[in-house]
Amino acid sequence: METQKTPMLELIDIYKSFGDVEVLKGISAKIAKGELLTFVGPSGCGKTTLLRIVGGFAALDSGQVILDGEDIGKLPPNMRDTKMVFQSYALFPHMTVAKNIGFGLKLQKWPKKKIEERVGELLSLVHMDELGDRTIDRISGGQQQRVALARALAIEPKVLLLDEPLSNLDANLRVVMREEIRNIQERIGITTIFVTHDQYEAMSISDRLLVLHNGIIQQIGTPVDIYEQPANEFIAGFVGYVNFLEGKVTAIADETRTVTVFTAYGNLELNHSQFDKSEKGDEVLLVIRPETIPLSRSDGPTQQNTFNGIIESFMYAGNFVKYTIKIEDKEMIVDQYNPKDTVKFERGDQVKITVPRSTHVLPKNTAIEHV
Amino acid sequence: MAEAVIGPVSGNSLWYQVRAFLNAKLVHIFAGGLFTLLAIFLIYPIAAILIKSFWGDEGFTFDFYVEFFSYNFYYWSLINTLILGTSVMLMLVIVGFCFAYLTTRGPQWLRKPLKIIALLPLAAPPYIFAISLITLLGRNGFINNFFDLDLNIYSWAGVITAQCLAFLPLSFMMIENVLNSFNPSLEETASDMGASEVRIVRSITIPLAAPGLLKAALLVFVMTIAEFGNPAILGGRIPFLAPDTYLMITGEGDFNMASVLSVVLITPCILIFFLHNYVLKGKGYATITGKGMAAEPKPMALAIKIPFLIISVPVATMVLLSFGVILIGSFVKIVGVDNTFVVDHVMNTQSNIAIWNSVKVSLGAGGVGAIVGTLLAYVIMRGKFRGRQIMEMTALSGFALPGTVIGVGYIIAFNRPPFLLTGTIWIIILNCVFRFLAVGVEAGISKLHQISIEIEEASADLGADFITIFFKVVLPIMFSAFVAGFIYTFMTTMMSLSSVIFLTTPGFDLASVYIYLTAQLGELGLASATTIKMIAIVAISFGLLQFVAKKTGLDVRTKQGA
Ligand SMILES: Nc1ncnc2c1ncn2[C@@H]1O[C@H](COP(=O)(O)OP(=O)(O)OP(=O)(O)O)[C@@H](O)[C@H]1O
Ligand SMILES: [Mg+2]
Repeated sequence: METQKTPMLELIDIYKSFGDVEVLKGISAKIAKGELLTFVGPSGCGKTTLLRIVGGFAALDSGQVILDGEDIGKLPPNMRDTKMVFQSYALFPHMTVAKNIGFGLKLQKWPKKKIEERVGELLSLVHMDELGDRTIDRISGGQQQRVALARALAIEPKVLLLDEPLSNLDANLRVVMREEIRNIQERIGITTIFVTHDQYEAMSISDRLLVLHNGIIQQIGTPVDIYEQPANEFIAGFVGYVNFLEGKVTAIADETRTVTVFTAYGNLELNHSQFDKSEKGDEVLLVIRPETIPLSRSDGPTQQNTFNGIIESFMYAGNFVKYTIKIEDKEMIVDQYNPKDTVKFERGDQVKITVPRSTHVLPKNTAIEHV
Repeated sequence: MAEAVIGPVSGNSLWYQVRAFLNAKLVHIFAGGLFTLLAIFLIYPIAAILIKSFWGDEGFTFDFYVEFFSYNFYYWSLINTLILGTSVMLMLVIVGFCFAYLTTRGPQWLRKPLKIIALLPLAAPPYIFAISLITLLGRNGFINNFFDLDLNIYSWAGVITAQCLAFLPLSFMMIENVLNSFNPSLEETASDMGASEVRIVRSITIPLAAPGLLKAALLVFVMTIAEFGNPAILGGRIPFLAPDTYLMITGEGDFNMASVLSVVLITPCILIFFLHNYVLKGKGYATITGKGMAAEPKPMALAIKIPFLIISVPVATMVLLSFGVILIGSFVKIVGVDNTFVVDHVMNTQSNIAIWNSVKVSLGAGGVGAIVGTLLAYVIMRGKFRGRQIMEMTALSGFALPGTVIGVGYIIAFNRPPFLLTGTIWIIILNCVFRFLAVGVEAGISKLHQISIEIEEASADLGADFITIFFKVVLPIMFSAFVAGFIYTFMTTMMSLSSVIFLTTPGFDLASVYIYLTAQLGELGLASATTIKMIAIVAISFGLLQFVAKKTGLDVRTKQGA
């Protein structure tokens, strides 16, 4: 949806090394106006580096950063219409909250009156109306976060850059601030890049995610794409838990749009649409999410793709129960949500699981792939 | 049998009883002993000065103070000293800031060399610059001759220049530390907001550094007013407190007036010591939060680079030139006048004897200092008795006291029984031990901070008694601090002049005193050669110290004072 608009920001084939270490190996992506894109990936994968390249704090080795049609890749930070909120917030400890927020405006030589007005607006945008005169060491962590955000927004940049802005907050506050950042971002419609290594944070705040690993983009897409249609094994394993099941295509029936895959459990019948490029004999990898598997008593009706298993252990998590089920000597994790009167199983119970026909399938050996 | 191993030490033999007593009381015994030592060798001499300044032939009197404030010569010496301190302080804050800014934010290729130059004066006594300035700009000075100038180095300008060069490392190290402690994203944010580098320096860097700059300024002030060598050699007829105190004793034999001068000199030093350690301690902006990464070096704005270089480059040149001229001066007859190569200066017997005496004294001071320092650190950190703070404060105060004052204190205090030490080598050794105790103690304390008390508790848990723990666990762990304290005390004693000059006897010259006397007499070749030998010894020790520090992860703070 967003990608069809003209991109506000475009990264073209960006390379960056520190000494011998190649951190970014050809990053290309387009970010639409008003979109919130998240860079996500394991620690050390280069998220901060990529963000700093966009902000002008790190030099790129080659490639381009196009903002609104103009290549800004070689400009210093203050010549770019991007503003960064640092992980440490980088608030000036010798200035008040209002002075911090007004800093950029003062540099732009705004008249005093207008600065006061604008700072007032921003203070109320971040719900800190009364706190303008406080010094930085006399406000809480969440408030510091808000000030840092307000300061970056003050001069109305075209792109807002946030490097793990929530990592210094405790768990509850993270959720509150995450929603707040998203609210403010949507309200003023500012194009935003958000960096985090927390995949849940990324899923819940973003329009789209850009997953980095080994210096390349593993996948770029909406949270739904990333979760339900992971492009490779790495992505599938990175976001949420997954049961991998190896298999081999044994039959392709075009008329019923069914593909038969032989696995450790036995034969599975899956939707044809997953296999556009597959042929008979191909090795594949099934990506089975724990919450997608219906679980029933072993005396229930037998359906397609149903297998018998035995409950090996379970963990009661309140809103769901996580079962470890042994099927044909292989373990499978199944999450069962907890509507009233759901049957709860005990260790040793015989159960039936059903693998859905629409289960996501990957060609084998897709750990690293250009997208 | 098991009981004998696990239970309390039993048996009636004398050894068991002694051991049990020591187990219970060893820390207190140490504490008592150390308190006595501090009282005799640090508190008593200072008290003796104070008393002497009020105590004339007819008992208690204010006469000496009245005299001080009624004679031009005396109170000008105070005013001059304060002017000297203030001007060197102001200049060094600016110069130190420029150096530190360049070494932390400047061009990559410049950082290392500039830092080495800024620290170079640490390897030499402060008065090296008096000698080099005379060689360059004295009456027969190389530059004066070459350009046919008539600059007078025996002047305010000379003293201020020498002091600035001598205390550049102190100012530089402290300011560099401050500049390194900022989170780079503060400056990055400001630049992101559109601030120019000049603007960032003015409205972010300097305000953030201000508390640190103030501390650096105060320390420079103290060190400058306390320094004896440079004003004594270059001051000519300008009165300054430290050299005047010396003259008061050697020239006039007036101990009362010398005491008054000492009290006057010590007052600002003590004030600043307290201000520094108790008022300003912990002040400053704790700016490191979260993850800050090393900023990528970026080109400096010309508006910053040019003025900073204009200030730093001449100073750096002077430092290098000074060391160069001392080196050359050691091997030629007279620099710029008669440049024939000679080894006479370096081989001079008197100079070698003086160096050898200094080495002996310094080894003694190093050994005693390290033992006292290590024990003090242990007692301060682990002892459970009242007065530990006072003990620590007293131990560290030696560093803040001007050398001349301690020197005067020692001759007044130890020239009669029960502590008759005057004229012995021990008065020099003990003087240096207690003046330079601070670093040994701090090294020990920092080592003890690194090792958890749980190590000692675990040993006790395993059945070791206190004596075993102390000798088998604590001392081995503290060994690196001991070595650091030893080397440091050795180095500073080698270079120390201001207090030992009161304590040496004719016929027993120390290197520093010999350098001072030859410089006074214009024997620059001898002064230079002796300085070079001293630098070589100090440099080797410094290398050793770095090696020990690296090997053991010990945080050795380098302090200055001679
Ligand atoms: N200034 C630098 N000099 C040398 N190496 C660097 C520098 N900055 C980053 N790196 C290296 O580049 C790699 C990527 O670093 P980066 O900070 O971008 O990772 P990240 O994805 O942000 O990680 P995290 O989630 O831990 O913040 C790391 O291996 C890091 O060690
Ligand atoms: Mg990062």
